[in-house]
Amino acid sequence: MIPFIARRLVQSLFVMLAVAALAFALFRFVGDPVSQMTGVETAPQDMERLRVELGLTDPIPLQFARFVGDLVTGDFGYSYRTRQPVGEMIAQRVPATLELGLVALLISLVVGIPGGIYAALHPRAPGTQALLVGTLIGVSVPTFVIGILLIFLFGVKLGWLPTFGRGGTVDIGGWRTSLLTLDGWRALILPAITLGLYQLTLTLRLVRAEMMDVMRTDHIRFAMARGLPLGTIHYRHAFRNTLVPVVTIVALQFGGVIAFSVVTESVFQWPGLGLLFLESIRFVDIPVMAVYLVLIGFVFVVLNLLVDLLYAAIDPRIRVAGAA
Amino acid sequence: MRAFLSQSEALHLLARSPLVIAAALVALLAIAGAALAPLIAPSDPYDLASFSLVDGLRPPAFLEGGDTRFLLGTDDQGRDMVSAILYGARLSLVIGLGALAFAAILGIGLGLAAGWIGGRFDALVMRIADVQLALPAILTALLVDGIARGLLPSGARDEVRIPVLVAAIGLSLWVDFARTARASTLRAKNEDYVQAAIAMGVHPARILFVEILPNVLGPLVVIATVDLASAILLEATLSFLGVGLPADAPSLGTLIRIGMQFLLSGEWWILWLPTAFLVALVVAINVMGDFLREIFDPRLR
Amino acid sequence: MTRSRPFSARLARGGISAIALSLALSLALSLPLAGPAAAETFRWATTTDPQTMDPHAVNAAPVTSFLNNVYEGLVRRDAEMAIEPSLATSWAPLEGEDGWRFTLREGVTFHDGSAFTADDVLFSYERAASEESDVRSWFAPVTEVRVVDDRTIDFVTSAPNPLFPDSIANFLIMDRGWAEANDAARPARDAENFATRNTNGTGPFRLAARDPGIETRLAPFDGWWDEARHNVTEAIYTPIGNPATGLAALLSGEIDMISPIPLQDVAQVEGREGFRVLEGLETRVIMLGFGHDRETLKYGADAGAPNPFLDPRVRRAVALAIDVETIDRIIMRGKAEPASQLLPAGLSGYSEANDAPLGFDEAAARALLAEAGHPDGFSFGLMCTNDRYINDEAVCRAVASMLARVGIDAELTVMPVRNYWEELRADNFDMYLLGWSPGTFDAEHPIRFLAATPNEETRVGSWNFGGWSNTRVDELLPLVQQELDPAARQAMLDEIAAILQEEVAYVPLYVEPLIWAAKANIDLVQRPDNFFMLRWVRVN
Repeated sequence: MIPFIARRLVQSLFVMLAVAALAFALFRFVGDPVSQMTGVETAPQDMERLRVELGLTDPIPLQFARFVGDLVTGDFGYSYRTRQPVGEMIAQRVPATLELGLVALLISLVVGIPGGIYAALHPRAPGTQALLVGTLIGVSVPTFVIGILLIFLFGVKLGWLPTFGRGGTVDIGGWRTSLLTLDGWRALILPAITLGLYQLTLTLRLVRAEMMDVMRTDHIRFAMARGLPLGTIHYRHAFRNTLVPVVTIVALQFGGVIAFSVVTESVFQWPGLGLLFLESIRFVDIPVMAVYLVLIGFVFVVLNLLVDLLYAAIDPRIRVAGAA
Repeated sequence: MRAFLSQSEALHLLARSPLVIAAALVALLAIAGAALAPLIAPSDPYDLASFSLVDGLRPPAFLEGGDTRFLLGTDDQGRDMVSAILYGARLSLVIGLGALAFAAILGIGLGLAAGWIGGRFDALVMRIADVQLALPAILTALLVDGIARGLLPSGARDEVRIPVLVAAIGLSLWVDFARTARASTLRAKNEDYVQAAIAMGVHPARILFVEILPNVLGPLVVIATVDLASAILLEATLSFLGVGLPADAPSLGTLIRIGMQFLLSGEWWILWLPTAFLVALVVAINVMGDFLREIFDPRLR
Repeated sequence: MTRSRPFSARLARGGISAIALSLALSLALSLPLAGPAAAETFRWATTTDPQTMDPHAVNAAPVTSFLNNVYEGLVRRDAEMAIEPSLATSWAPLEGEDGWRFTLREGVTFHDGSAFTADDVLFSYERAASEESDVRSWFAPVTEVRVVDDRTIDFVTSAPNPLFPDSIANFLIMDRGWAEANDAARPARDAENFATRNTNGTGPFRLAARDPGIETRLAPFDGWWDEARHNVTEAIYTPIGNPATGLAALLSGEIDMISPIPLQDVAQVEGREGFRVLEGLETRVIMLGFGHDRETLKYGADAGAPNPFLDPRVRRAVALAIDVETIDRIIMRGKAEPASQLLPAGLSGYSEANDAPLGFDEAAARALLAEAGHPDGFSFGLMCTNDRYINDEAVCRAVASMLARVGIDAELTVMPVRNYWEELRADNFDMYLLGWSPGTFDAEHPIRFLAATPNEETRVGSWNFGGWSNTRVDELLPLVQQELDPAARQAMLDEIAAILQEEVAYVPLYVEPLIWAAKANIDLVQRPDNFFMLRWVRVN
């Protein structure tokens, strides 16, 4: 197991380097930071001077080396837009996005897994058809339209829930949480539903497919032949076997949830990483974009690593195959 | 070893579900309308001289203030909504299917190969997949678009917008295919029938495509159906961020993006007609996809 | 075409009239001060968070507008944009040399209690004119600043500069002691410094809490030198980038005021009990520019062919082909005002003599094109933003469609503003869309930036992307800048306006509208520069 882990760690390092390279490459194309940083009355000479000061005129490999070097030493630099330390800006936004992502994921699991099981066990029931079609419609409407509709229904028409922001937050050792106040939960629910809808559909369909697959396998048929209670068969034998692919996808999805929160956050003015990232794109705030991207890459890499280790733990054959 | 359904069985299955028939009809109509847009659309939305701002914001013909020339009204440029939607659906389908094909070929190919060959190649492919997954789809698309912008002279950009979009969206979708294909290959490799085929000296490509691939089709079709929807929606989101299709040659996503401005203004048809068309089309494709999956995979019946 | 009305009257079309507004103001004045009995929390939102709290670090409207509530200048603008005394009580031209003497107000203190003196003005000048500052161009004409005594300071300029006091309304004064003690004697360039997130001004509000990009809280400053007209006890600002979300926040009552709201949603807000829309005209003129300085077209099917826009008849044909009235009616919902010059009617230096726009005449446009040798039209590239001006993309699409109707085929390229200026500076256009708001509210400003031949040395023409060049205009510009006699100055400005119109150097389209929305119980002033001043807000 230890060489397996060590090898995956080294591989992950290379992935991070590649992500950094891509992140760096991207920023050469997103626009000119200097025209965003300066006003209309700034003379071209001053803009050129600023370009030199920011190191934008240095050779590309030098810029990249400096970029990676700074990241490794934990120096995330300063935002072009606000001049604040990037690490601090990102750290402030992490709780909002993580909480949103976790609740969204929770919603998708709480509805998606039982829904998927139900749909697999009762393939012909009207409820199954309703579930499948309903989730499909939900996932067929663009996220920004869904978010705005929820805002107008529950925020403006009914007046039940806030239309933007995080509501009341409580600061616990630097982690600002909205999970401890009613106000915070009220603000969280609409964005979480919006964000979770897509994952919900995917989870539900995945659980259903895997579950139906497993129900056909010999050991379930054998269990049925033995006359075991249906409940035991369904949940002890069948569901457990669907866990591996479901865990994989769900874990990987969490990275996706974080990444896709960009659109949701912009619709709900949710003060998380996604909103920060969009603002940074708008202002060509390269240091913030770079760190965000590397951070997202890091989250993915860690999740991947965990999934692989989990896989290996659940199914030793994979570990053997992987080590071959 | 797994025969597809016979024709009569498929028809029987079809007859059992009115939903599938309805979806098939909707999908057929939408796809036909999109494919035949140049023949059946009242006007050509790409021809700037064919519409006039003076006709802008007309409601559908059956409402007060409507104009019989514009059955479903006009947008803020005076463009006929029927024509815009049909041409838009055409572009959306081309991009969605293109991106899907791109992702499926790339992903399944790499996934099967990685799962089969294993070792360093597997590690390499999965690490590339990690890099890909580590870049959100929106960023992948920005990157592809950015590189295209950097490499091409600015005049040539518009001509390659569609291929660039297809590549950008396709690149962000291939990993799901690859991982699923790989996981199933890994699992199948240990199955008796595959081990038997290996022992018998059957060519690996044959084993992959004849023995393993059909077994993977179930989950792959699930991914494909959901991905077609996401491809079309991703295109809309990209248009929203300014790297999608331009408003003068709009896809459904672009039309929805334009329509968003009129969400509350009273001109509901500019947003809701293309949205309804998109949702109907995607739902129909998905229902069809489920049905196809049942045909491909008798275990699910 | 109607004669232009004075700007102050035009700014208040529709939702709220200037008369009612000044009544409300005088009423507010005559009332005894409301006292702190009722806590009046006021919440507002705009689309863009001010990126810094440093008044000299970034020359951008969201920053300057916000900080005018916290910091103050020597002079300030009233509700009708006129210059009035602020930290200076009076000013007069220097005798014997070029420049201005400012007499400073007595008894002014900064938020931290330290006294305001001429030395703080000198310090702020040094800070704002430093290399690290983004507003140093305001002080390009200044050669020396002298503290005469605690209450008197001289700004010496290189040439007569009648508009200097007007040009420094946003030059905000910072406390020397505070800045130096906190290591913020220069604006932050690379890394932030203390002044990026903290303030110490003299203005009516002080910064109570700052959470960049999320929320900023202001509290009234009890020691403000001026009589407070507002009754706000706490002001909370939130940036909301998505227009629909912002509107929802207003309609659900979570915020009291938002700027701007989309034009198409005006009717929705007006139709609701308890809300109102404030409409006015901004000072920004939206126009089309041409590539004047190149021999060939760069884009479209005719890329490489001789540049037809070198011919003034073709430029005139473009202007005639565009139906600005219809663009206003459909896309701008009737809220814009057709423009004929590079600045809106009513601003200082506007040429009344050249008030009439060219108008819309498709037949004449076709005839002119034929006369210029393009009977079958031609194809070219039009560059446009999609997130900079109100409905900019829709306007460009309409322009392309209108040009297509007279036979010229505009190949439209639309991009976000983050890529736009770079493309324009690289000459990647045949025609482009531009909006210009004169920072000094005077006709000289657009001439200096847009009409003068680009010259790195004298720093004029820096936004004249098309490189339009006219020797007479170049000759007149320095004379305009130095002329003290208003009539003589206006005569020169009229001549320039006539040349620009005759030559169709640009095609001015319309003046952008300014649309805010608020709850009905909020009294406020909508200034044409789109600055939102809390000192005029009353929560009823």
